[in-house]
Amino acid sequence: MKRKNLILIGLSLLCLSLPSFALAQVQARVRIIEASNVSSGNDPALRDVRDQLGSLFNFSGYRLLKDVNLNLAGNRPAVVQVHPGRTMEVTLVGEYRKMAELKIKLMRESATILSTQVRLSSGRTILIGGPRHGAGVLIFVLSARF
Amino acid sequence: MKDRCSVVSALLERYHDQEVTEEERRLIEDHLSQCPSCRDLLSTTAQIGTLIKLPIQEASERADFDRAWTKIRREIEKREPLPWWESFGDRLKASLFSWKRAWIPAMAAALIVVGLIVGPVLLEDQSPLKISSVEYVESADYNVMIYEGEKGNVTIIWLFDRSDEEVPAS
Repeated sequence: MKRKNLILIGLSLLCLSLPSFALAQVQARVRIIEASNVSSGNDPALRDVRDQLGSLFNFSGYRLLKDVNLNLAGNRPAVVQVHPGRTMEVTLVGEYRKMAELKIKLMRESATILSTQVRLSSGRTILIGGPRHGAGVLIFVLSARF
Repeated sequence: MKDRCSVVSALLERYHDQEVTEEERRLIEDHLSQCPSCRDLLSTTAQIGTLIKLPIQEASERADFDRAWTKIRREIEKREPLPWWESFGDRLKASLFSWKRAWIPAMAAALIVVGLIVGPVLLEDQSPLKISSVEYVESADYNVMIYEGEKGNVTIIWLFDRSDEEVPAS
């Protein structure tokens, strides 16, 4: 078989193995919430996630500390200041079957206290919680649209 | 002169067979009119040529091609015709062989088209749920729990302070 024919067949096989699209940009939303049992009631800004939070956790009150929209592009980390000395870093590292692959780091000073990689479908949410904050804990609500 | 002789002697055989260019012919003939040794070489070349040609010519005059061809044709006619399926197979093989150059690139092009159409369809929605999932978690400071909702609509990574760990009763 001629080399030209082999190249053509190789190209067609490559087409089969390639993903159908590649994410150029992802709109991510990070909401930082303080959950505690000291206060009661919910922040009106958290109306859309109130039921979800209530069904998952036993805290009496949730307060929105920060709401940040991020434009994520390939391998460029976006940094969210949680409070002085504590940051969250979100990086779009790729895509897999229409899910965005995000690398998330929680940093205290310069030390990484959490490093994780998640796959997120458009419109889905991932929650990261637990670090102490005042009398309660922090919950990071991360969602993405693309 | 000697240089000219070597040039001309290299061309003499082709000159004798009338295969030289017009320019080469003029060069050779000018030189031959002045150089007896090259003339001798030309006549020797001509004699050798005649010696080789003569027996071939005589043999071809003796050969009876008409008779030989009649014999060959008789042998061909003696052979029985092939059954129809064998002759059909032979013709099919011959036609496939002649189309080989065309159908291999055509097949490759068809594969590319199929790949472009089927590839995205195959890769779409292969996972049963379009959910969020955790690939890995690393934390030196916390114990980590991962919770994934039954319907796959929520994923939680929960960090526990190490100081929250239960102390075993002594």
